[in-house]
Amino acid sequence: MSSRKSSRSRQSGSSRISDDQISDLVTKLQHLIPELRRRRSDKMSASKVLQETCNYIRNLHREVDDLSDRLSGFLASTDDNSAEAAIIRSLLDY
Amino acid sequence: MASADKPINTDVPEKDVFALHFLQSLSNLRRQNTFNSPEKTNDRVKKIKKAAYVSMARAAGGTSRLWSRALLRRAAKETNKVVRFSRRKKRVTWLRRRSNRRDPVEEEEKEAERLRNLVPGGGAMETSKLIEETAYYIKCLSMQVKVMQCLVDGLSPK
Repeated sequence: MSSRKSSRSRQSGSSRISDDQISDLVTKLQHLIPELRRRRSDKMSASKVLQETCNYIRNLHREVDDLSDRLSGFLASTDDNSAEAAIIRSLLDY
Repeated sequence: MASADKPINTDVPEKDVFALHFLQSLSNLRRQNTFNSPEKTNDRVKKIKKAAYVSMARAAGGTSRLWSRALLRRAAKETNKVVRFSRRKKRVTWLRRRSNRRDPVEEEEKEAERLRNLVPGGGAMETSKLIEETAYYIKCLSMQVKVMQCLVDGLSPK
């Protein structure tokens, strides 16, 4: 059989994942998070990257909440003559 | 079938794909008279938020991603719609890594567990899949945020 340290079987849920693969994935994740990209450190511990990822995702969720809130305010305006209503109409009524 | 060195593909669609889907969702909401009726503000906000996540899941490829599938399934359950894809009920048990049980690994497992709770559908994924899905999820989320931000900026009074 193959003497490689890891192999991935796609069929069942069981696969052998090497440490290298995980650390590789973690590095790629690190590049995606702006906070960690700025620090430019070569290698952070995996748990730190995962922690920052969680924080980042929570922040994004919070932003979606906030923006939904603001959008709701705009879209609910009943003033049909405002410039905003015209924009909304042109965007959404097609 | 053994592809140990497959790089993660994290190409997400362009921003306008997300924008288009989101605008379509909003347009549907508008047609349902969500914005003109004297609804409670909270309900309206919740509907918009749901539209944001659903349109993001669709823009990202619908059922081709585990997290987007989980999002769509969750949304469909709320509206009692019948969704036509197979359910993944299997919960994959945590795979022990080959390294010895050092403290760093346990730390990692704790954080990964937290991540699982944040990424939709994460509970059914094993670690490497979780990380891959997270990368894609993050990209799509930030794209969605940008779209919504643009919309809000465009509508804000100058």
